Amino acid sequence: MRAPFRIIFEQRSETPRYLSGFVPLVSVLAALLAGAIFLMATGYSVSETYSNMLQDGFFSSRGLTDTLGLSTVLICMGISAAFAFQMNLYNIGGEGQGYLGMIGGAWAGLALGPHLPSVVMIPALLLIGAAAGAAWIFIPAFVRARLGTSEIVTTLLLTYIGASLVNHFIYTPNSYFRAPDVVFPMGRTVADSAKLTAIGSTRMYPTFFLVVVLAVFLYWVVKRTEFGYRIQVIADSPRAAQYAGMNARRTTMQVMLISGALAGFGGATLIVGEFGKLDPGITMLGYGYAGIVIAALARNNFAAIIVSGILFSGLRVGGDKLQITTDTPIHIGVMLQGAILLFALGGEAFRRYKIRAVRMQAVTQ
Amino acid sequence: MNENIWILTSANAVTIATTLILAALGALFTERSGVLNLGVEGILLTSAISSFLAADSTGSIWIGLVVGTVVGSLLSSIHATLTVILRANQIVSGLALVIFGTGLANFLGKPAEGRTVTTIIEPIRLGPLSDIPVIGPILFTQDIITFGTIAFAVACAWFLFRTRPGLELRATGDDPATVDAQGLSVSGIRIRYTMFGGALIGLGGSWHMLAQSAAWHQAATTNGIGWIALALVVFAGWHPVRLIFGAILFGFCLRLPFTLQAEQITFIPSAFMQMLPYLATLIALIALSRPGSKNLRGAPKALGNPFVRDER
Repeated sequence: MRAPFRIIFEQRSETPRYLSGFVPLVSVLAALLAGAIFLMATGYSVSETYSNMLQDGFFSSRGLTDTLGLSTVLICMGISAAFAFQMNLYNIGGEGQGYLGMIGGAWAGLALGPHLPSVVMIPALLLIGAAAGAAWIFIPAFVRARLGTSEIVTTLLLTYIGASLVNHFIYTPNSYFRAPDVVFPMGRTVADSAKLTAIGSTRMYPTFFLVVVLAVFLYWVVKRTEFGYRIQVIADSPRAAQYAGMNARRTTMQVMLISGALAGFGGATLIVGEFGKLDPGITMLGYGYAGIVIAALARNNFAAIIVSGILFSGLRVGGDKLQITTDTPIHIGVMLQGAILLFALGGEAFRRYKIRAVRMQAVTQ
Repeated sequence: MNENIWILTSANAVTIATTLILAALGALFTERSGVLNLGVEGILLTSAISSFLAADSTGSIWIGLVVGTVVGSLLSSIHATLTVILRANQIVSGLALVIFGTGLANFLGKPAEGRTVTTIIEPIRLGPLSDIPVIGPILFTQDIITFGTIAFAVACAWFLFRTRPGLELRATGDDPATVDAQGLSVSGIRIRYTMFGGALIGLGGSWHMLAQSAAWHQAATTNGIGWIALALVVFAGWHPVRLIFGAILFGFCLRLPFTLQAEQITFIPSAFMQMLPYLATLIALIALSRPGSKNLRGAPKALGNPFVRDER
């Protein structure tokens, strides 16, 4: 026997404005609710966990500045992912391109730092990091553009290769990147001219504002320039783009290289900022993967990425402090990130389609 | 050079290959139906810790394996709901599952950190076969899940290419419109195989955790095996039997760094050995690409595309 009702998906020609903001908001709330049920089921206090997370992530001056500080690299990873995603190019190796940005930045800080003043050194370091990130995506970009090899798997594999590279540079005795005269393997700190000072007594660096400006600039590039227009046409209708004489191969290369450069830039901000050296701990932090979630939640809108980046950063900062303030495992923060994205994906359907249940007879007529 | 350590390495390679085969078979079934599930790593982790907790509290490894398998299937049902019913982007949904699963596994695993299960799955010696020098300990002294997995992979090839449901599965991944015209439910088939694939991945994760009787620790537990499994499917051209050989090859690459270290062979940097499975996959991927076609050899043609009847 068949169900008397059928679910019908009707494509919306235009999404009502209220839904665009409403859906992400409800997704976040639904994820928090699911998290609350999960916390209750496992015997942890919901109110204590959430109030501590909010307090430590957003509503204390220490928490807020920590959040904005961490959001620097997360926003960078978010715009990196979104830049490729908007053309249906799934660069999910921002993580690895970030490692390379860190390696490139650390190299610049160690090799050039002693010879250059800060004014020249900092931009040079960030650009070399970006170049290293772009170099790391070159092969996936090239084979994607020429042979059509799936960039999803290639960029991902290169992330693991990048992680081995980071470990190699730190754990090999006498490595250039390794701190000499220390038994414990750790990175060598870059020259002082290659480091920025934190704002006040916070863990926020001026790079935060730079990254926000970068996100706004990209928003403008995508919405208002010929290059942005070309990306949209190729993404929406490859055939129309072909007839219009657009070079999809070249644009694919450009978009992927820029995406890689942005991730590398994000890695380099860690060198001039909090880390100050190549640190193998980076391979455990998963900033690049978080960037994918941030981009997806913002639906690849560069301005919205600033907001979702800060939101996610706060969840992480608040979550990471849980272990100190309560006995709730810190991983609830990561879990919530995943849950928010899952709900946002489900909610997306309501934004794109009008979903109705209709009687079976109505369908067969 | 110590011969035994190489035999041990090869035997370990077959052990790791079992997890890889199970996870990759799960991905293969899912992908053959046209659904790309990138969440393998997250499913592996969550199943591993669920099976560990179940085995730890009941004292039975078999209950652990069952629980892990069910959890794997449940997690992938989230993916099936989002991508097949709600038509969400498969790539993003899979990645969300990785993040969610990693967080969930670590959350659940926190109280169990550092503990090990006391009972192990005993290896079976296949009679006189396991007394054959070199090959015996490598191929014929494994546990029942390893033997079962290899036999199962061969059976899967038969199922895919020699039976009616196998044909329907392949058709759903290649040309869903035709399957729909045959009166079969594309969504139903896709949901079923996504959940079946998730169960296999879950079994792989549980076995990986319990058979090696290692302590629970996220980074050490799966260590990217889920991603390698996804690459392995491409490497094997979506064919279950080629998958077995690929898995053993990859397993060998994964074990080699430890052996080289133990043998103090230093002329090859250990980082390079760590990279080897990923590099091998990368090169294989590029070599298998065909210019001018988006599809890799053997790839389901509708992989990653939601099926919308009205837009047929």
